[in-house]
Amino acid sequence: MKNTTKGIISACIAAAVLIIAGCGQSSSPAPASTASAQSEGGSAIPNTVFSADDLAGKVIGTQIGTTGWIFAGDVENAEVEAYNKAADAIQALKQGKVDAVIIDSEPAKVFVDKNTDLTILSDPFVEEEYSIAYKIGNDELGKKIDDALMAIKADGTLDTIVSHWIGDDPDHVSYTPDSSVARSGKLIMATNAEFPPYESMESGEIVGIDVDMMRAVCDRIGMELEIENMQFDSIIAAVNSGKADVGVAGMSVTPERQKNVSFTQGYATSTQVIVVRK
Amino acid sequence: MDEFLQKLNDTFIVDDRWKYLTNGLKTTLIITLFAVMLGMALGFIVAVIRATHDKTGRLKVLNFISKIYLTVIRGTPVMVQLLIIYYVIFASVRIDKTLVGILAFGINSGAYVAEIVRSGIMSIDGGQFEAGASLGMNYNKTMTFIILPQAFKNVLPALANECIVLLKETSVAGYIALEDLTKGGDIIRSVTYEAFLPLIAVALIYLVIVVGLSSLVGRLERRLKKSDRG
Repeated sequence: MKNTTKGIISACIAAAVLIIAGCGQSSSPAPASTASAQSEGGSAIPNTVFSADDLAGKVIGTQIGTTGWIFAGDVENAEVEAYNKAADAIQALKQGKVDAVIIDSEPAKVFVDKNTDLTILSDPFVEEEYSIAYKIGNDELGKKIDDALMAIKADGTLDTIVSHWIGDDPDHVSYTPDSSVARSGKLIMATNAEFPPYESMESGEIVGIDVDMMRAVCDRIGMELEIENMQFDSIIAAVNSGKADVGVAGMSVTPERQKNVSFTQGYATSTQVIVVRK
Repeated sequence: MDEFLQKLNDTFIVDDRWKYLTNGLKTTLIITLFAVMLGMALGFIVAVIRATHDKTGRLKVLNFISKIYLTVIRGTPVMVQLLIIYYVIFASVRIDKTLVGILAFGINSGAYVAEIVRSGIMSIDGGQFEAGASLGMNYNKTMTFIILPQAFKNVLPALANECIVLLKETSVAGYIALEDLTKGGDIIRSVTYEAFLPLIAVALIYLVIVVGLSSLVGRLERRLKKSDRG
């Protein structure tokens, strides 16, 4: 009995210590921000990257397996840090652990919206196109999806979805699946829900452009959509090994990827951008 | 066969990709080595504090702190501790990530080592303390020269096991973008999109190290046995 009480007390104290440590952490940057309040949200560690040329020799944060990560590898003398999630790279940037983050433009906008101390540099890298990945040889499925994509592009469904998630008209409903469609079989979609606005977790559900677009595609091809959330760098392996039928994750077509999976036509264009502290 | 050779070439040879594994291995070994040292040091200190308190009732405050340390560290996953050290304790500091790894895994291992060593100390018959006292040794001397050497021998297998666990646990270091052996394999996997070879290679390297460690410990155990009577 006595031991149990002791155990409970020490657990409580341990929790208290953690909470106090946590408070210490969250309150300690406060004086720093008041001190630099004149410079409006100025971070403790000043930014040193003002253009793509400044990246040389710097520490660049990226998400492993993304095109940003591949680009960062080509920057002269730069030290590339490959985080498992884009959000982790952004957090490291905020804390001054990296000098810049290279990431796709749309997620970058979402991150910058949510973090007032960050900004996007105006010079973007090359433009690229997002496509849906499917297993090499599974051309029957590829053709069906391609046709469905063509159809939802033509009738404006895709535009409506995109404008719901990006800017223009956030109030209207993005896409409502058609309940009258007869469905046979499941289409398993592999994605990495860390990539707003294409896919992210919202109150426990995976939502975004890719998700709504695939619901529209599934309505056209008469299949039921099932979403598998996984690490970005596992998606192609999942499609390859048949664990998923398609990979839809704001994935752009690169020669290395094409060696391992087939891609449908593009459904969105994107650029890689540099995110830095203000 | 040709396809397999092609994959072998893609996974390890092209762009010197094997270097991800060797550099990762180096990082893994450095973290493990220093974390083991830190863990052993912390563990022995905490174990002696706890055992001394149990046996003599002294060191109340230190014992209390040790108990909190054990509760917190053993009650939370090492990956969460690693993230807390990186993102919370060292927030807004650019710190060497290998050091973060060493600290996180060392502090974590210390808690387990402490309980292992304490169980070793408790396993030594109380008569040994009396024997020390009858030789005119005080508590500290008895602990250092009579109890701890015997305790160490008893817990050696458990300590070796802890080292092995620690080595394998460092595989979560990739979460703070530390390029250890596992992350090295992940990096190759994300350029080649081929899962089999990098993962098997990484697994084999861990296995070889663990088997090597086990045989070293076996040798040490036999060495220490020599002093046993009969």
